[in-house]
Amino acid sequence: MMIKTLVLDAEKCSGCRSCEAYCSLKHEGECAPSKGRIHVVKWEQEGLFVPINCMRCQEPACEMVCPKRATFRNYTTGAMEVDPYRCIGCMSCVFACPFGATFVDKDTGKVLKCDLCDGDPTCVKVCPTGALTFEEVSKETYLKLLANADRIPGLVRKAIAVEE
Amino acid sequence: MFGWVGKILRVDLTEKKITTEPTEPYVDDYIGGRGLGVRLIYDNFVPGTEPFDPGNPLIFNVGPLTGTAMPGSGRVDVTALSPMSRLRAKSNFGAYWGPELKYAGFDHLVITGKSEKPCYLFINDGSVEIRDADHLWGKDTFETQKAIQAELRDSEVKVVCIGPAGERLVTFACLITETGDAAGRTGMGAVMGSKNLKAIAVRGFGSVKVAKPNELLELALSTVAEMKEHPAYQELSNWGVARSMQMMYDFSFFPVGYFEDVHWEEIIQNYQGAAYVEKYQIRNMGCFCCPNRCMNFLAVPGIGKGLTSCEPWSGFTGGVWNLDMDVFWEATLLTNRLGIDCTETSASIGLLMELYHDGIITAKDIDGVKMERGSKEAILTTIKKIAAREGYGDLLAQGQKAAAKSFGSAAIEKVDQVKGLAPHAYEFRAYKSAALGQAVGHRGDPLPLRVNLLEVDWHHAPEWFQSVAAQQFGSEEAAIPSSYQGKALATIISEHMERVPDNMGVCKWLYGLFLFQDVERVTAFFNLVTGKELEVPQILKISERVRNLERMFDVRQGLRRDDDALPRKFFEQPLKKGKYKGAVLEKEKFEQMKDEYYSLRGWDKNTGVPTREKLEELGLKDIADEVLEAP
Repeated sequence: MMIKTLVLDAEKCSGCRSCEAYCSLKHEGECAPSKGRIHVVKWEQEGLFVPINCMRCQEPACEMVCPKRATFRNYTTGAMEVDPYRCIGCMSCVFACPFGATFVDKDTGKVLKCDLCDGDPTCVKVCPTGALTFEEVSKETYLKLLANADRIPGLVRKAIAVEE
Repeated sequence: MFGWVGKILRVDLTEKKITTEPTEPYVDDYIGGRGLGVRLIYDNFVPGTEPFDPGNPLIFNVGPLTGTAMPGSGRVDVTALSPMSRLRAKSNFGAYWGPELKYAGFDHLVITGKSEKPCYLFINDGSVEIRDADHLWGKDTFETQKAIQAELRDSEVKVVCIGPAGERLVTFACLITETGDAAGRTGMGAVMGSKNLKAIAVRGFGSVKVAKPNELLELALSTVAEMKEHPAYQELSNWGVARSMQMMYDFSFFPVGYFEDVHWEEIIQNYQGAAYVEKYQIRNMGCFCCPNRCMNFLAVPGIGKGLTSCEPWSGFTGGVWNLDMDVFWEATLLTNRLGIDCTETSASIGLLMELYHDGIITAKDIDGVKMERGSKEAILTTIKKIAAREGYGDLLAQGQKAAAKSFGSAAIEKVDQVKGLAPHAYEFRAYKSAALGQAVGHRGDPLPLRVNLLEVDWHHAPEWFQSVAAQQFGSEEAAIPSSYQGKALATIISEHMERVPDNMGVCKWLYGLFLFQDVERVTAFFNLVTGKELEVPQILKISERVRNLERMFDVRQGLRRDDDALPRKFFEQPLKKGKYKGAVLEKEKFEQMKDEYYSLRGWDKNTGVPTREKLEELGLKDIADEVLEAP
């Protein structure tokens, strides 16, 4: 099976925060970036914006620390989800996440975790710059490999001091 | 409530008193944003109050759609009594501050009084604190924002602030948020400075409730998809306005120098805006939730980083006879950091260059600065001197008229202003709707309106755009730049269209000017968010009420038909070159356009004052009673 994942490219992000607003509309039925499952960290004066979202780790800290086994993987989408009936709101997962990508609703204490919109992420549809894309994991890693390998001839030429 | 978060926040800086009142009673008549703000200033302003009196209310307005998940939902309207015109001020800025104010729980913010010492406001998720700003006084707008975020230990705090120019009451000081989003026009920075208020920091975790969330999501997603296919989107999102400048100069739509003439061969041949973007642009950026990234974020080594939108691309190039893009960029960053309006600043420099060129002033009159056209030293020195109120900069800081007065009567004759402001930098001799809209507008720089852009579009496909004009504005002639016909009605319709996104707190570039050139789209969003079921004609009727109330505020301040005027130059000096060589405004036909405008509006032709009948039709009887019956 091909697993698809959300690929974040900070280089392309323009900081519009559409992803945050549309995410909360989709999941909460209201507009509140603070309730989004994705956030953009901004250095406005540098023109730099970094979108942060669940990395769907192979061995997720959020799952491991959950005392009630409320955090689980959805094997259809690959997303890490939270069962609201099991969750006791202890926020262990929030603090255990090494990426700071498990969020919490400040009003209700509810854990906010990206569920990839059941395999059709809303944020990808609204992202104007292509900073957010939904890609097949195997294809994406293959492209990375190619990009990496592509640098090597340059290195070799440099090493033997042949002009470009 | 859906859409509105329900509260108007009032801060009295003298008494340090903070109160709130409900938004709801106003929304059916005024919607929100600009419209509701007009009612607030009408009600809160005591006639006779001067711009820098503590009693001058400084009002920030967001609308029911601000902060919602739809394109362009990041706009804020600002009003007060303008120190430039002593009429109602109107300015508007974007980025993230407006949505944050909604999430913090407020639709409007009314600031009155004057703090004893420099202070800033911190609106934190429903609570409000007046904090000391002694340590921020003197800092530029970029430093101020960073310092406040550091002090509050939260980089997500959104700040709108003034720079040194606002502190020193430069009459055209502006407000700045982020690195280039400004409430530029009408001197809001000076009003804020007069209150000893350095900044307003906002942080909010609340939400905007939506009546029909699923339908809203669907419409917003399809709108984004549609926008991405639009040619205007593709141009603006990649280049901002940088690439269209040459075309504007070629069409004689943008003036060169101080409205001296429009045709400067060198700028048409050698405008380097696009190349500059290509070389130094990090990315294009937009406001909150906007896919249409109409602003350029540039990083130029040795000069600096920041954001710019439309005005400086012409103001600091053709407006001051400058082709050196480094000078354009340094001037843009300087005005943003110091907190002065780039439009009025470039016009003020343009004025000095003309006076110098015509020998009305010499270097001796202006601290030894040689005010040659396009001179780098002249441009940058003048900006610094204005913000510092030093030497001749202190004269300019009081306004172009005040500066000209000190240079004598020949200089006064030269000043091109409308209602105390530099007119919008369009060409009024060739483009008749621009002339009418500029003259009768609600402030000295009320453009662009849709019909003005239609006159530009017309060159690309005259027949097509004439048919658009016939459909939308009731006359084919409305699209033809040189025609005086059909402009009055087209201007009125455009003015009403313009107020719709302004009243709702979203971007008029998207909804009305460039992307969706109608009112239908934004009305559909309005209904889904608020749960109301208003039709387009009802939405436009509210715009008409807002327009009339704006007018009545100014009438109460003494405005009459004679103030709806343009500088003599446009009637006396025909264009000498270019596409519209020979074009000039004919006084009689211009006045006829105004007659037509007033009578279609239901305003008295002789005075330009709305009639009682019109005001009562719009539910503004109380206003008619107060102003029309005044002795």
